Amino acid sequence: MTGTVTPSRPAEDAGSEPKAGWAAARRHAKAAHDAEFTAFVASAGTRLRRTAYLMCRDWHLAQDLAQQTFAKMYAAWPRLRTGTNLEAYSRRVLMNLVFDQSKRRSASEVVVAELPDHADRGSGTPELRLALIEVLARMSVEDQAVLVLRHAEDHSIDTVAMILDVSVSVVKMRNARALARLRALLGDDFRAAD
Amino acid sequence: MEPGLREQFDRAVRADPGADPGEMAKAAMVHGGRIRRRRRLAVAGAAAVVVTGVGAVGVMALPDSAAPPAGPPAMVAAAMRLPAPECSKDPVAAGATDAAVFLHEATDRQRSAIGRALHDDERVATVIFESREDAYPRFAALWADSPEFVASVSPDSLPESYRLRLRDPAQFTAFSREYATKPGVQEIVGRICPQSAPVGGGAW
Repeated sequence: MTGTVTPSRPAEDAGSEPKAGWAAARRHAKAAHDAEFTAFVASAGTRLRRTAYLMCRDWHLAQDLAQQTFAKMYAAWPRLRTGTNLEAYSRRVLMNLVFDQSKRRSASEVVVAELPDHADRGSGTPELRLALIEVLARMSVEDQAVLVLRHAEDHSIDTVAMILDVSVSVVKMRNARALARLRALLGDDFRAAD
Repeated sequence: MEPGLREQFDRAVRADPGADPGEMAKAAMVHGGRIRRRRRLAVAGAAAVVVTGVGAVGVMALPDSAAPPAGPPAMVAAAMRLPAPECSKDPVAAGATDAAVFLHEATDRQRSAIGRALHDDERVATVIFESREDAYPRFAALWADSPEFVASVSPDSLPESYRLRLRDPAQFTAFSREYATKPGVQEIVGRICPQSAPVGGGAW
């Protein structure tokens, strides 16, 4: 007689065929992955969106870029979740999206709003903020990426090189060039540790 | 004290309107899950056709959701039609702002005739030709997560296309009807996109 078999699994596995058990295991794994992913978004979302903003200077677009970055990461989550530097990886995905977009923009000759040539910089704080953003907008997107990753995000030169998939010397060169440009355009309004 | 660069960056992002991280995660899971399924489907489709030569078993490898058994060319064609995230998801029959004109086995003369017609067409604001060579690196980058799929596709199997933006979306229907019958044109896919989208409205 077989009536004494006690189901040792949760009710949803009650079918207890190997297939059902396997499906349930998959569901559990997915739920665990989703929980991990949600926690990752909660911890990384704000910084990622702000970094995106510094690269595109539009909050709406920044949110969109952050969202796309997370979607791409979720698509690869089973592979990423272990042994990947998630923060660096997310920056890499984001920067690739930004680079693609700027390439497409220049290729498609869509007129984007040009910032005025003369930043009306006063001495107050809001004007100062505008100035940095405007100066960023006038640099190549590669130089912007180095400045933002190195100085807004505080990544090491090595990490920046890894994120952007270029050599350390390229990062150093772009960093020096971008800082010099920033100094020239912002005047004495800032001081930065190189 | 002079503010350092770091503080200036911090100040520049102070106007962050914020976003609900739970909502962000949820939206990413929906969209990301879709990306994952699409890739899986494409790989399965490509793999299935490789196996069909051996026996009927290959067809079984197709997931139930893939309507007719789709070979690499069909899968590639489907992949080519992925919309840019800013654009309408499904192609539209009327009111498209952007369009991709896919060519099929067009001769040099047909290709340049279509190009000339598009360039001279008053209704077209911008037009870009995308050759197979242009398309391949972007195709490979988009599907970098599925090396098997990328490896199964050669540049030759990617279609050529003209990507264009119309001056007036109301003209799309007439435009499409006119070009669809030109020799060398396989299909015209129209989408509704904002100005910020890539010309043609394709994901790549």
